[in-house]
Amino acid sequence: MSDLLPQRLLAVATQYPERCAIRQGSTEISFGVLAAKIRALDAALRARIEPGERVALVMENSVDYVASCYAVWLSGGVVVGLNTALKPDDLMWQIEHCAASCVIADTRRWQELDARLPERVRACSIVAGAVPSVVALDDLYRAPFVDVAPVVISADSPAQIIYTSGTTGRPKGVLLSHGNLASNIVAIQDYLGIRADDVAMCVLPFFYSFGNSVLHSHLTVGSGLVLENSLMYPQTVVQQMQAQQVTAFYGVPSTYYILLARTQLEGADLRALRYCAQAGGAMDPVRIERFCAALPQLDFIVMYGQTEASARLSWLPPVDRQRKQGSVGLAIPGVQLSIRGEDGAELEAGSTGEVCVRGANVMLGYWQDADATQQAIRGGWLCTGDLGYRDADGYLYLIGRSKEMIKSGAHRISPREIEEVIAAVPGVEDVAVIGIDDELLGQSIKACVIASEDDALRRQILRQCREHLPLYKMPKAVDFYKEFPRTASGKIQKHLLT
Amino acid sequence: MSARQTLRSFILENYLFTDDASALADADSFLEKGILDSTGIMEVIFFIEEQFGIKVDDEEMIPDNLDSVDHLTAFVELKKAAA
Repeated sequence: MSDLLPQRLLAVATQYPERCAIRQGSTEISFGVLAAKIRALDAALRARIEPGERVALVMENSVDYVASCYAVWLSGGVVVGLNTALKPDDLMWQIEHCAASCVIADTRRWQELDARLPERVRACSIVAGAVPSVVALDDLYRAPFVDVAPVVISADSPAQIIYTSGTTGRPKGVLLSHGNLASNIVAIQDYLGIRADDVAMCVLPFFYSFGNSVLHSHLTVGSGLVLENSLMYPQTVVQQMQAQQVTAFYGVPSTYYILLARTQLEGADLRALRYCAQAGGAMDPVRIERFCAALPQLDFIVMYGQTEASARLSWLPPVDRQRKQGSVGLAIPGVQLSIRGEDGAELEAGSTGEVCVRGANVMLGYWQDADATQQAIRGGWLCTGDLGYRDADGYLYLIGRSKEMIKSGAHRISPREIEEVIAAVPGVEDVAVIGIDDELLGQSIKACVIASEDDALRRQILRQCREHLPLYKMPKAVDFYKEFPRTASGKIQKHLLT
Repeated sequence: MSARQTLRSFILENYLFTDDASALADADSFLEKGILDSTGIMEVIFFIEEQFGIKVDDEEMIPDNLDSVDHLTAFVELKKAAA
């Protein structure tokens, strides 16, 4: 039990109580103060949830998110960090799907959800901010100390549900245990060599598994985090990296594309930065080399993972970056990789098949979806849906995805959800949503619509999307077609649409 | 049309898809209100460079210059005066 994340964080807070744990804007909080907040909130949650019950966190990356996450774990609860960009209907669908007993939300999201929550959930919920008649996080932090007996959690206890885009429209809830998370975090700390004196900048949302892994892999060794919640103003991000002497940075390909295109990296004093790590899709090797040329002192580490595997599956050691260009590297400690053919048999080096993995980091399953779980985990192996091969030295190369999904920035997006919104617009006969190459985002969204070309209709489609979809799911282009290329069975051949 | 009106119309037309002027307050933060994302802000920068004949440097891409109609208007007028 002592190896699980909440206990590790509290041990670190005892060891380094004065060290800065989180810095965000002008807010700075030590490990000691963070631990005190966690314990106070844990005591308050005991009256609200039973072990195993879900608590939805609906807020941006913040001290409050971190304190809530660890407090829920100490109380034996299951953390469900929800995507704050979602519209209220979609947030409510996830809150109901996971049957959350309690919601902890910031003021803005609370106002969107307040009238929609069932009274029993509303009565248990907590606001990060001030809303009349709702319990405030700050008041709970300040409550007199109550020493509560620890709830027994084991490696098998459910810890977290992370919603991921499903190809069938509705998201799936990936259920991870404390053992899943702890094993993956320890492996990440091992291969990245994360130290207590590291300072990591996190620009990735905690509600996705990449940001979640950055959060826990740093805090649980006593390494501080600098939080920046947007890349909209990238020069501000670079200034913070410089001012806070950041030693570790993480991003998806578009993070690095934006930094390359819109900041003066060469002019920044980033000597403290010892590595930059990248995951979340294939990054253009030419731009990796440009990034490394701008900041030659650092190691650039390519990684690969999946939410269903807690976060991380493989990494490319920096010494291999040029020698094995295009590879996502080798399995991290505790993970076994296997390339399998359609018949399930393991393939030899050089042969392309589905990437399958096994390890203590593989999820318990999809929340309340036994069929999807059975499809994903077969014979003890997680079938990732990614296609790839291994070279003679065992290095993994990904060549595509067997499932239809758009990767834009840090987001994986199901085209079907956008298609459903557009199909509801009067005048649209048919619609196909595809990802097209984008210089900064990797892919951007294009809606291909069968209808008479009409600026008013284009505008109506975009207005409908704006109303029903978060900003990152907005199509960047709407093009009109007379007909779509189709297979003999009538299925749209999306790969022929450009 | 004043710089402020031009900027308001551009944001309303291209990001909120409406003619309803009440949908956007001049002080609304593009970031906090979810009006623009990291690609949207670049489109705004291209627009003001072309529309007002100014050049936005990387170090000027900060919220104080760009994150609302009020900030954008003040920034554009300052840049035009300095040109």
